[in-house]
Amino acid sequence: MLGIGQKFPAYSLTGVVSNDLNKAFQTFDQDSSPGKWRVLFFWPKDFTFVCPTEIAAFGKLDKEFKARDAQLFGVSIDSEFVHHAWRREKEELRNLPFPMLSDIKRELTTALGILDPEAGVAQRATYIVDPQGIVRFVYVTDLNVGRSPEEVIRVLDALQTDELCPCNWQKGEDTLKAA
Amino acid sequence: MSLDTLRDSIPDYARDLRLNLGSVLTPAGAPGLTEQQIWGVAVASAIASRNTEFTRQIEALATVHLDDTYLNASRAAAAIMGMNNVYYRFLHLVEDAEYSSMPARLRMNIIGNPGIAKIDFELISLAVSAVNGCGMCVVAHEKTLRKHEVSREAIQSAVRIAATIHAVAGVLEQAPAVASVQSAAA
Repeated sequence: MLGIGQKFPAYSLTGVVSNDLNKAFQTFDQDSSPGKWRVLFFWPKDFTFVCPTEIAAFGKLDKEFKARDAQLFGVSIDSEFVHHAWRREKEELRNLPFPMLSDIKRELTTALGILDPEAGVAQRATYIVDPQGIVRFVYVTDLNVGRSPEEVIRVLDALQTDELCPCNWQKGEDTLKAA
Repeated sequence: MSLDTLRDSIPDYARDLRLNLGSVLTPAGAPGLTEQQIWGVAVASAIASRNTEFTRQIEALATVHLDDTYLNASRAAAAIMGMNNVYYRFLHLVEDAEYSSMPARLRMNIIGNPGIAKIDFELISLAVSAVNGCGMCVVAHEKTLRKHEVSREAIQSAVRIAATIHAVAGVLEQAPAVASVQSAAA
């Protein structure tokens, strides 16, 4: 599995961004949100039970992620049409504020090492990728266990929090961090 | 309101401040600073001095010299230093190495990317630290500025602005109270 400090793989995936079929699909790649942090979270299958709750929970925190200069992406190996149907079908997903990406060729899932060998679908993995494209956080749970978006926010805060202020200067310290 | 009108609203008992305000906000009275730096420091110092009406007046005057980016960065410096001056002052005063080694876990990302020249942001942060009275913050910001070859004259000009703005903000805040006491006595 791809871990901390490694370059997040390149990808080009179709994402669902709207219920309206005419403007539902958009292509996203590793450069779609320049200068931003990326949070990509994967789920095993559309139309299953744990997922919509969890996805909606990320959706509710979308503003929190945006405020931290981070773009959310949800990903599974289902096709964009299945994503679209699910989004329209499920009330909790109808106003989802971030794209649902389709890794139908399983290329990204495979490159990340999170394709479950038994089930043949993505494991419940979450990645935080910094603006330089480096993986800074990996979080994988069992296929049946939901995850906590709040925990992802907490980690993002910790990753982004750097004591840049010269006020942090300590007596006798010659070089300042911000210098 | 022009700077002159603003000056005239300062009561007589604070006439030294009235005269100082007139000089420190001009290039001649603030050697070493650009007009942008003068007004950025003025805006941030006014915010740090907590007088809404006076801040509004200083901001109105500043818009002549500052674009929105610079104005916002000045406000941002006042905002972030309002937090850092308290937190780091605690660290400095308590002088306990354990606390210093604990991560602050406070976001201060604006310092890394303030949208204006870092030196300008530093200078404004120094002025705010002077107003907020964090001794070691003042020492640290001054050190950083000197390291980047900002002259003592320029740094002094910034602090003269901070000091004057702070005093005037307080006087204008209290002026109505003073006026009512005077008219009651008359």
